[in-house]
Amino acid sequence: MVSSEKDQRRPAAALAVLVAVAVLALGLAACGGGDGGIQGGGGDTESESVKLEGKPSGSVTISNWPLYIDKGTVPAFEKAEGVKVKYIEDVNDNTEFFGKVQPLLQQGESGGRSMFVVTDWMAKKMRDLGYLQTLDKSALPAVEENLRASLKDPSFDPGREYSIPWQSGMTGIIVRKDLAPDLKSICDLFDPKYKGKVDFLTEMRDTVPLVMKCEGVELASASEDDWMAAIDKIKAAADSGQIRRFTGNDYSTDLTSGNAVAVIGWSGDAVQLQIENPNIEWRMPTEGCILWSDNMVIPIGAPNPTAAEAWINYVYEPKNQAKIAEYVNYVTPVEGVKEIFDKSEPELAKNQLIFPDDSFTKNCDTQPTLSGEEDQKVSAAFQAVVNG
Amino acid sequence: MRRRVVPYLLLLPGTAWLLLFFVVPLYYMAELSLNSGVVGELEFNWNWDNYSEALSLYDTQFIRSFIYAGVATVAALLLAYPLAYTIAFKAGKWRNALLFAVVAPFFTTYLIRTLAWETILFDESPVTEILDALGMAPEGHVLATSGAVIAGLTYNFLPFMILPIYASLERIDVRLIEASKDLYASAAQSFWRVTLPLSAPGVVAGTLLTFIPAVGDYVNAQFLGGVGNRMIGNVIQSLYLTQSNYPAAAALSFLLMALIMVAVFVYIRFAGSEALMGEEAV
Amino acid sequence: MRESGGARAWRWLREHAVVIAAGLVVLYLLIPIAVIFFFSFNDPQGRYNFTWQGFTLEHWGNAFGIEELTDALITSLKLAVLATVIATIVGTLMALALVRHNFFGRRLANFLIVIPMATPEVVMGAALLSFFLILGTFSLGFQTLLIAHVMFCISFVVVVVRSRLIGFDRNLEEAARDLGATSLQTFRLVTFPLILPGIFGAAMLSFALSIDDFVISNFNSGTTVTFPLYIFGAAQRGIPVEVNVIAMILFFFTVAAMGFATWQQRRAEKMASVRPEQEAGAGMPAGAPAAT
Repeated sequence: MVSSEKDQRRPAAALAVLVAVAVLALGLAACGGGDGGIQGGGGDTESESVKLEGKPSGSVTISNWPLYIDKGTVPAFEKAEGVKVKYIEDVNDNTEFFGKVQPLLQQGESGGRSMFVVTDWMAKKMRDLGYLQTLDKSALPAVEENLRASLKDPSFDPGREYSIPWQSGMTGIIVRKDLAPDLKSICDLFDPKYKGKVDFLTEMRDTVPLVMKCEGVELASASEDDWMAAIDKIKAAADSGQIRRFTGNDYSTDLTSGNAVAVIGWSGDAVQLQIENPNIEWRMPTEGCILWSDNMVIPIGAPNPTAAEAWINYVYEPKNQAKIAEYVNYVTPVEGVKEIFDKSEPELAKNQLIFPDDSFTKNCDTQPTLSGEEDQKVSAAFQAVVNG
Repeated sequence: MRRRVVPYLLLLPGTAWLLLFFVVPLYYMAELSLNSGVVGELEFNWNWDNYSEALSLYDTQFIRSFIYAGVATVAALLLAYPLAYTIAFKAGKWRNALLFAVVAPFFTTYLIRTLAWETILFDESPVTEILDALGMAPEGHVLATSGAVIAGLTYNFLPFMILPIYASLERIDVRLIEASKDLYASAAQSFWRVTLPLSAPGVVAGTLLTFIPAVGDYVNAQFLGGVGNRMIGNVIQSLYLTQSNYPAAAALSFLLMALIMVAVFVYIRFAGSEALMGEEAV
Repeated sequence: MRESGGARAWRWLREHAVVIAAGLVVLYLLIPIAVIFFFSFNDPQGRYNFTWQGFTLEHWGNAFGIEELTDALITSLKLAVLATVIATIVGTLMALALVRHNFFGRRLANFLIVIPMATPEVVMGAALLSFFLILGTFSLGFQTLLIAHVMFCISFVVVVVRSRLIGFDRNLEEAARDLGATSLQTFRLVTFPLILPGIFGAAMLSFALSIDDFVISNFNSGTTVTFPLYIFGAAQRGIPVEVNVIAMILFFFTVAAMGFATWQQRRAEKMASVRPEQEAGAGMPAGAPAAT
């Protein structure tokens, strides 16, 4: 028995040794690898600047939110500039995306990305940590010329040193007008008659400021206590069953199926949802809305920043932007698009959700900022409510 | 002498892989859990606070997760056993088809299966109305309740319960059951005293394979649950990916693993199955 | 004494209670699949596929038309095939060692195999992420995904193959040697073919686990998008109907593969003229992982 079993195991054993050697070799190679990572030193406080290298060429990887671009722009850009674009839609949530890329950025790596698109406050946070490069404006003439005046000098990035808006939007309430015709304000969301039929966003920067507005707080001067008070109000509503769910974009399921009669939601989605069900409409809350932009930024360690800047410039040409705006239905940051739509898509040109006039947005505010420490406390408190 | 080396050689690649990519990462995570500080400035300083904080802050979610997983496991057991029994003893030529029916849903993605339940169970759907009429929807709707989360867990892990039980049943020597019948036992008695005990290894394996992943799940809670239904898996995911609070996330992960280990240990002791650990053969 | 119709029906129900229950469970298992199938023929006006708006075959014709989706699917398939091959080989070797030999450290090895199955995916995913980041050698992406997938598949392969080996009749090997076969021939012509269904079952299980994995992949994918990850992203903004189509294609393909494998096995058994009941566990078709 002994010898025959031994013989039988030989071929298997030989194979095993081979595989083992391969694995160990892999392991040893790995051990020789990098240091730092999560434990490594903080980001550089002095920011890198984009170094342009002549005409754009090669390939470029862009991370963006899903369904934020039409089908024709990428191929058109590739043809016009001779640059290959890898366009990935892997930004589903600002904080989740940050969680994914932060450890890389910590080490000066971008994971192969030349550009990503994140909301205002996240752009500021990344900038403060030294993760973003300063842009070279000389390659961005179209931006200089066409960026809407109201967006040229925001408080979080005066003079637009490191961020250029991709699209802007408004957060308000999206309502089933057949099921909740009288719901017109944020405070209405707390009305017991809609108990269990209301969704709030997991995006803290939208939900809490809106609730603060319901409480009458001036967002520009909001204190940490104001934030916490609003979070307490939300917690009470969650505990009592007033709020059905905290969602990301997936409030769309609840609205279309009637599971919810009203949600805190984004303007661009409403245009799409209306096609799905004409009873769905976005309403400007009586207290006002939250204005935000998703911004194109170039991270440190980005390969081919020249091509990335070429992309930014390309999408700021009104005729190129028009195609994107037509599909995406958010507020376009580029001047000159409305004029194009006046002729080709007059319906869209009149849509307040895509081209809001100043009277429409008179009560709206941009997202209030929080210092690093405040941010941690407030985020933890809010997350505790969401995950309660 | 050569014979002694052979098993070690056979084990080598697998063990190396598991050691390098399972044990070592866990060690690093353990190290992380004893850190303190903000992301970008973490330092190791034997910070056991992370553990005590995790326990006190998230005890609700821990308990909730164990309850949800427990109920789901019991439900899965009750649903799985008849089916496994039928496939093993009564199926004949339909056996393979039934096994396909059990395993095949596995091959449409986990997420799509879960989302399909959203389509089936929305508030105004006929299915929901029927369940409500049967008194199974205390809040008037099914989605966004703990019931939906538990149902999702049960559904998704059902194949893990069916297959081990089936495998165990299938290996029972039918003559033992016949013998018990020859000795005047009724069908029910034969089942309780012969079949069921003989299928114990399968039941134990099935319950473990169901309970353990269920406790750490977060997908069902995120899509099918509402406020107050989030599980410990959601918290860990939030701490890691949303709040970038790695020390707390790591501490919580270890706590979860430890609690599961304790539960499993107690359970196996109680079930007394060495067969589970593969001590047979040779 | 004739039974009344009602009593007869009641008796029939009681006798067949178990089978009826089983049938209901099968129905329960297949309902979501039916829904997915149903909605793959939907013709929605907008982006969302929740309410039925009309029948169309358009999406079936355009199944691979969405580039990101198809790319994600291909990535997942590549990943699953590679992970399955590696995990099956490595796992089978381990199973052979654990069942056929009694050696120092056997208990420990058994324990090591079982622990990954006892670890919640969220913990494994997070631990791997920390590890890869600290190491810095592997770029987050296909490499790290492959490593992670092989890792969690190994345990399952070992468990399945091991249970198959335990039920294996050694006398057959002896008989082969008595008839003059060398050890290599015995392994190749007797042992291996007979444990092959178990190995195949383990491989299928491993493939399923890999292609279905979401949690661990979510943590370790970098910019690589796998099929489940694509769906997760899309779930936020409206899942295109093509996703349903592809899910059904995967489903049907798998059923066909399993059917083919079983048919092959039947043929092999017929040719070997060994009656199925006599081989312990040989009645188990492919794709059925077993407890020990």
